[in-house]
Amino acid sequence: MDFDFNDDQEQLRDAVRKWVDKGYSFEHRRELVKAGGFSREAYEGLAGLGLTALYIADAHGGMGMGPVESMIAMEELGRGIVLEPLGQTLIASGVLSGYADGALQTTWLPRMASGEALVVLAYQERAARYRLDICAAHASKNGANWTLSGHKSVVAAGDQADAFLVPATVDGKIALFLVERAASGVSARGYVTQDGSRAAEVVFSDASAVLVSMDGLAALEHAVDIGIAALCAEAVGAMEKTIALTAEYLNTRKQFGVTIGSFQALRHRIADMKMKLELARSMSYYASLKLNAPSEERRRAMARAKYQLGVSARFVGQEAVQLHGGIGVTEEYIVSHYFKRLTQMEMQFGDTLHHLGEVSSRMPEKAGVFA
Amino acid sequence: MDLAFTAEEQQFRDEIRSWVRTNLPADLAHKVHNALHLTRDDMQRWAKILGSKGWLGYAWPTKFGGPGWNAVQKHLFEEECALAGAPRIVPFGPVMVAPVIMAFGNAEQHQRFLPGIASGEVWWSQGYSEPGSGSDLASVKTRAERRGDKYIVNGQKTWTTLGQYGEWIFCLVRTSNEGKPQTGISFLLIDMKSPGVSVRPIIMLDGGHEVNEVFFDDVEVPVDNLIGEENKGWTYAKHLLSHERTNIADVNRAKRELDRLKRIAKAEGVYEDIRFRDEIAKLEVDVVALEMMVLRVLSAEKSGKNSLDVAGLLKIRGSEMQQRYSELMMLAAGPYSLPFIREAMEAGWQGDHVGAAHCAPLAPTYFNMRKTTIYGGSNEVQRNIVAQTVLG
Repeated sequence: MDFDFNDDQEQLRDAVRKWVDKGYSFEHRRELVKAGGFSREAYEGLAGLGLTALYIADAHGGMGMGPVESMIAMEELGRGIVLEPLGQTLIASGVLSGYADGALQTTWLPRMASGEALVVLAYQERAARYRLDICAAHASKNGANWTLSGHKSVVAAGDQADAFLVPATVDGKIALFLVERAASGVSARGYVTQDGSRAAEVVFSDASAVLVSMDGLAALEHAVDIGIAALCAEAVGAMEKTIALTAEYLNTRKQFGVTIGSFQALRHRIADMKMKLELARSMSYYASLKLNAPSEERRRAMARAKYQLGVSARFVGQEAVQLHGGIGVTEEYIVSHYFKRLTQMEMQFGDTLHHLGEVSSRMPEKAGVFA
Repeated sequence: MDLAFTAEEQQFRDEIRSWVRTNLPADLAHKVHNALHLTRDDMQRWAKILGSKGWLGYAWPTKFGGPGWNAVQKHLFEEECALAGAPRIVPFGPVMVAPVIMAFGNAEQHQRFLPGIASGEVWWSQGYSEPGSGSDLASVKTRAERRGDKYIVNGQKTWTTLGQYGEWIFCLVRTSNEGKPQTGISFLLIDMKSPGVSVRPIIMLDGGHEVNEVFFDDVEVPVDNLIGEENKGWTYAKHLLSHERTNIADVNRAKRELDRLKRIAKAEGVYEDIRFRDEIAKLEVDVVALEMMVLRVLSAEKSGKNSLDVAGLLKIRGSEMQQRYSELMMLAAGPYSLPFIREAMEAGWQGDHVGAAHCAPLAPTYFNMRKTTIYGGSNEVQRNIVAQTVLG
């Protein structure tokens, strides 16, 4: 039982933090949002830091690191509400490494590690809401080749990515495929999302696909769990920065001749924000440290962590805006952007009610971290 | 970073577990697991069993006859005791006053007081709160006037938990009115059998006699019973309050009680009610999050690398959760929580229960638990402390 970071991990944190502070200022981010919410150049910046290679084995040009290093990187990116979806790269790295055959790994992992290729998960469908076992997209085999049809929604950087990981049914059972965006029969309609990042509706019409795994549901669940752990860490960084901004404001803003941070009504609210942050941080550690657990235990842990993320992120975001007063609801000031990012997180990979249902239906007889 | 306990820690846990399972009397575990009434003898019996093993002062250093465990080992001991259904160690002697005597008492005081605390022979009470000083402890008014080699003590303490059994009481008393309120306080040990000490019960809202008022009327206390220096008592009291930082969350008990909540909800037929079950599920996440927070503190204490200033958060969260699980247990039994039959809370009662035996203590426990967000520095005071760490 040890929650200290080693020296390498501390160095990784410093490096990412410096990059965010120097290269990803609020003004710069604002320009990126205006330009569409995804910057290949910024993504290459993440690659330059080695972050796109974090979760990929040495043999494929990666750094062979694990969930804890991923967590550290995501926390720091969250602190800067970085738009480029490193979480997606972690997902694709984990899923291809764990479920794809050697040839597919050799084709994609080195290019993903270098930042040359961006592969994202395209799994959400209109009728499935947050359920992973409902899938209308389907695939069929003609000779040696697979083709896939279906419509996947709100795909991160969907009109920028090089390839998609796509669940689709084969004879009624979910399998997982890789489809290149450039393949014929693929169309992606891009847009910006509420937090300024980029997403797309991706439609596959008999698109040429490569099979990743026939055990698609297991792979998809794993993919989403990697995404949840990454998101939990990202939320911690974003909440930490949100609270720091709010504290700074309370200690600067004067009303009735004193700084508003001297009012107990406000002090208690920031104490509650700090509580929600530390609970979320605790659950983020828990999520990352359970990411390699057997699937049932892992699923249960991620549901618990995502539930906490939802509760904490919503509270911290709403309170930050309220404590700022009028300036908190302007586009100009930074805190509303953190609020929007935190809000969006709740609806990624299953919202709070969804995960409460998961926790509830997976409740074991014994309580606690080690049960 | 690693979630798992080390092999040595795991082995330590196994040893504690097997010892506790062998030595904890079954009738005591039954009472604890079912929230039945614990008598003085029950509490004393377990204290003496621990005392004979040298574990009543489980947080004590070896220098004073304790096991010298580190933060993680202490936590594992607490956890194994709680999960097995051991009565809580009455903290006033071994957990609260002993560390102050060790740190600030003289050698003669060590010899005189520590053995009786370590063995569980002597029952200690805490004399901090007064009618006029609740969370504002520095405002104590109970006076101790020096006359020769004695102090003459006059005043009143209140909320003295289990003071009806107390043989000794450690008190904050005012020895000076000079300067700031904090600077005129002394730390005095008082024999409760002394003439002029009287104890009057305060009956709580659940009907239980748990706390008391203690009156001091010209009580003579030898100056040898002063700990450390006169007027330095506030510093010593703060030392005491800063002790046992993670224990305050009581997460091990929360785990045990959550298991009990599930058993009761199943027996009462509400576990399959999705709305009720979701409330249990929320608490389950709360327990995991609190336990992770406690583990983070323990890890930081073990390595000494990053100290974590979250004692206020642990107190707030732990107390809120105690209230919540008590509330849900009561709601699970619904109307069967309502009959107030005091004897039904005694072990071995042969009368006719209304509903089921487990229903009887649920509402009284819920009422009793309202104290948790008030005592030990109210949660509002804790929020002030937490805000201080964020805002300065």
